[in-house]
Amino acid sequence: MNGRLVQRSLYAAGGAALFLALASAFLLAIGHSPFVTLATMAGYAFGDTYSISESLVKATPILLCALAVILPARLGLITVGGEGQLYLGALLGTAVVVNYPGAQMFALLPAMLVLGAAGGAIWSALAGVLRARFDVNETISTLLLNYIAVLLVNYAVYGAWKDPASLGWPATIQFPPAATVPSLMGTRVHCGFIVALIAAVVLHVAVTHTRWGLGLRVLSGNRKVGTMVGLRFARNTLIVMALGGALAGFAGICETSAIQGRLQSGLSVGYGLTGFLVAWLSGQNFLRAVPIAILIGGLISAGDALQLYSKIPSASATILQGMLFIAALAASGLSTRRETRRG
Amino acid sequence: MDDLTIIGHWTAATLRSSTPLLMVTLGETLTQRVGIINLGVEGQMLAGACAGFAVAAVTGDALVGFAAGAAAGVLLSAVHAILCLACGANQIASGIAVWTLGLGLTSYFGRQFIGGKVTGLAPLGGPSVAGVPLLGPILAQLTPTAPAALVLVVAVGLWLYRTSTGLKWRIVGESFETARAIGLAPLLVQLQGILIGGLLSGFAGAILSVDYTQTWANDMTKGRGFVAVGLVIVARWNPFFVLPVVLIFGLSEAATLRLQAGGLALSPYLIACLPYVVCLLCVIMASMREGRIGGMPAELASVFGRRSR
Amino acid sequence: MAHALVTMAGICKQFGAVVANADVDLEIRAGEVLALLGENGAGKSTLMKVLYGFYQADAGEIRIDGKPIAFASPREAMGSGIGMVFQHFSLVPALSVWENLLAAFPDAPWLQGRSSTRVQAALRWLRRLAPSLDSARPVRELAVGERQLVELAKVLNLNARIVILDEPTSVLTPAETERLYGFIRSLIAEGKAVVLITHKLADVVACADRIVVMRGGRVVDHAQARERTPEQLVNAMVGRERGSSIGAPAPVTAAAPVLQVRGVSATAHGAHIRNISFEIAAGEILGIAGVSGNGQYTLAEALAGLIPVTAGDIVLGGVSIASRFQDGAIPDDVAYVPERPLDNAVVADLDLGLNLALRKMRKLSLFPQRRAITARAEALIARFDVRPPRPALPAAALSGGNLQKLVIARELSDTHRLVIASYPTMGLDVLAAQAVYRTLFEQAASGACVVWISEELDDLLAYAHRIAAIYGGSFAGIVRREDASRQMIGRWMAGMDREAAA
Repeated sequence: MNGRLVQRSLYAAGGAALFLALASAFLLAIGHSPFVTLATMAGYAFGDTYSISESLVKATPILLCALAVILPARLGLITVGGEGQLYLGALLGTAVVVNYPGAQMFALLPAMLVLGAAGGAIWSALAGVLRARFDVNETISTLLLNYIAVLLVNYAVYGAWKDPASLGWPATIQFPPAATVPSLMGTRVHCGFIVALIAAVVLHVAVTHTRWGLGLRVLSGNRKVGTMVGLRFARNTLIVMALGGALAGFAGICETSAIQGRLQSGLSVGYGLTGFLVAWLSGQNFLRAVPIAILIGGLISAGDALQLYSKIPSASATILQGMLFIAALAASGLSTRRETRRG
Repeated sequence: MDDLTIIGHWTAATLRSSTPLLMVTLGETLTQRVGIINLGVEGQMLAGACAGFAVAAVTGDALVGFAAGAAAGVLLSAVHAILCLACGANQIASGIAVWTLGLGLTSYFGRQFIGGKVTGLAPLGGPSVAGVPLLGPILAQLTPTAPAALVLVVAVGLWLYRTSTGLKWRIVGESFETARAIGLAPLLVQLQGILIGGLLSGFAGAILSVDYTQTWANDMTKGRGFVAVGLVIVARWNPFFVLPVVLIFGLSEAATLRLQAGGLALSPYLIACLPYVVCLLCVIMASMREGRIGGMPAELASVFGRRSR
Repeated sequence: MAHALVTMAGICKQFGAVVANADVDLEIRAGEVLALLGENGAGKSTLMKVLYGFYQADAGEIRIDGKPIAFASPREAMGSGIGMVFQHFSLVPALSVWENLLAAFPDAPWLQGRSSTRVQAALRWLRRLAPSLDSARPVRELAVGERQLVELAKVLNLNARIVILDEPTSVLTPAETERLYGFIRSLIAEGKAVVLITHKLADVVACADRIVVMRGGRVVDHAQARERTPEQLVNAMVGRERGSSIGAPAPVTAAAPVLQVRGVSATAHGAHIRNISFEIAAGEILGIAGVSGNGQYTLAEALAGLIPVTAGDIVLGGVSIASRFQDGAIPDDVAYVPERPLDNAVVADLDLGLNLALRKMRKLSLFPQRRAITARAEALIARFDVRPPRPALPAAALSGGNLQKLVIARELSDTHRLVIASYPTMGLDVLAAQAVYRTLFEQAASGACVVWISEELDDLLAYAHRIAAIYGGSFAGIVRREDASRQMIGRWMAGMDREAAA
């Protein structure tokens, strides 16, 4: 057993080394020193309290979208729909605010959040129904639904909900304070982060230690045998997809409410895709996703800072994410191959 | 405008719209036929579009642009090949990783080309044929890429079903182990399948940017690669069926443009949902009947999580 | 004296901790049938797969025509004139017969039209072996016996000098088996060498010129066929005097039927059963004989309540199972030991403890107690001799035989009203098989109805109270053990002498 741990650590280190090599190659190609740039990024990510809070701001939707991928993955479903669910959640939550802008906080805020979660849940459950009833591959359906969701939000902000006061910029009205998710300790980090942490712990306990979680393991391992002993694939598909979608939708409405202050085009910078990456890096583990999401949140936040201060476009963060994903897949794939060969 | 001309315009618009998608769907069909699913075609198509546009803009030559696009597609697909074949990574995750890389690279290196213009290929028919009923408008709007794509469909289909290499590719896609047992080299075939898919998807992207839209915009493929993956299933992995299936999608895209331009009271964003909805409906119908008709290469079934019976 | 075509010396092959071949010497000679005899897991298949290039030996030497050689892949072996017909055929079900033959044909043209002469050449051997077979049909539509002929034609197309057959008769009716023996004899007459890998003495007695017996990865006996009696061969295979055979189960005392199957039709994965009717009393064992692929799987799944019936009814203890079809869940009072346990009975990635607890999933507490699950697993593992006895291992780590024991431990440790056992002794050696039979008889003795599907006709004739034969999705006949004979059941299995359903 010890030997396996050593081997896994070696492969993980190899993966990290591969990532650094790829990242360095890219940075050199665009004429920047790898060491200096990466060190600067680390500073932008976690160098002071402001940096840390900005990283956590990014980490919140990323973590929620990662949880939205991990839960269905425990049933063997591979969904890449975080982006679309996030947008639908923002859409539905904003609908409440736009229609009742003058409501009191104790009613408006919960309603907005609940409908936001519901929006994501519905969008995800749609793919779930298609999988459960018609055997439609959920990866393809969620990918297509992503594009539709973005178009629907554009439809709203360019059309009926467009705020005349925003001078041509496609966005809704500013959210009133009654619809703003409260922030923590005066920073931009909002309560959504706490919800994400709680969700990670609760889901971990539920999936690892309850009878229901065991049922998911059985169904994902062998659907026929699971059905034979009385488990229901269709029902569980809907549950995990809806719950996951709810988390992503919640992330969407929180982003809209707390960070952007209103619904506008370009709400998300690929949080759904990043969430998928984090889920994969964490080995589909709810608890491990937390520190990884924070790290990747730091990466994205540093990317924004790089664009601002070092004139390196923030698309570099996407490139680095891609390279990180590739390095991680190579390392874990080789490691698993080695283990199965040993038998 | 008389009816023939209208039909001519619609046919031309559909064919133009379908040409890039035909290429990428053919490429992904070949890849899936050897038992590999490559979601990275979206990133490969983007890479092809960006590289193709950049080279065409710099050299002024569309054909060189096409070649550059194809090369970019091959390079990116090589990443997928290394991850899946050499490292044993999960094919879906690897595809998403390739897509992420392609998205990032094209967003980064393509920003200087945003909004630029290139001259594409010359249309098939000059002003002299514009008056010919039905064919006139079609030839006036189509470039050589459209008939090339049609020829490619037939060629790929004949190759897959009527040659010994095509047979070997099909066997690898049905059973890796059986291919090995009868003396084939399945890993090599899968590598070829992935790279050919990369070449065709990169080429498709270059056609999109250089020939069809003649510009570059960030994330300009807008999910067409994923649509292609879905359409491969709808076409039952049969190159011949790819043509009608893609034409349906192309028709919905052409309709989208016409409706948006035609001043329909609906928001252009809602109209733009049409192609994706059409694709999703096609995939749903195909999935419903899959159990009864079959046709999925058996090796692919394990990737999609279905136990072989 | 036939000259040695192939000499294998000191062959060793290991898979992780499992030693498949240890220091094996073997000679293959032209014009002779060599029987490679041994129980499941003795290492016979592995040895031939090493020769065929499918595996590479860890140690030892192989010589072809005196020259040392080591094939890195089956393609090289095929090029040297060695052909192997695998136990699990290497045909592609989705493709047609001629496409399958063409894929392995060395002289295949690049452009392939059905009518071209070179394509027709690939069909030459097939026409000789199976003249009535339409080569345009997809392989998945063929019966198992027909598939084996296509596989044989494929190998012969290679102009193989050495033909290796891996357990060829296990999927054939008695008549098809006789036909195969005939083909083997004609191959020998043409000067080829045939290696027959088998665990059945009948094959050896019918064909073999020379016998090599393997056990536990080693060669334990080597002689001309005429120098050995069947008794001696069995002793060599098993390693000891075969223990006293187990006694037959107690006769049935109850008269009233507990399980009533009336006119049942159903479909599973394209395999149909039609209008099946029979009744079983408490404590009675009904054996179902038949060549695999004639509806056994569908029947077992329907009885277990896992697939809906399209016609008829299944009544157990007065309660109709079929009309209470619960989306594919098995009723609590039914025990089911399915065929292909890795796919149909266990979750490969889960550990043994959880797999053993699967039938009780719905009764687990909200936060299941690991200790209780593990303790129960340890007791069952010990009682049914599952090896290695570690509840934390994943089910995928078990060998085929131990997996079978695991499933039996789970299903047959409690009492049930109905026990369905499909090929329960598959992959088990003689002693383990006897233990399984004893468990089945205990179940019958405590009042269960037992439906026992098996390919071992001799065991069915020895132990079942009544025997039915299934062919083409319906029962060809049912008879009491006392009135049954090998010929009668064999003819039913081949689709002849159909009776009206009992």
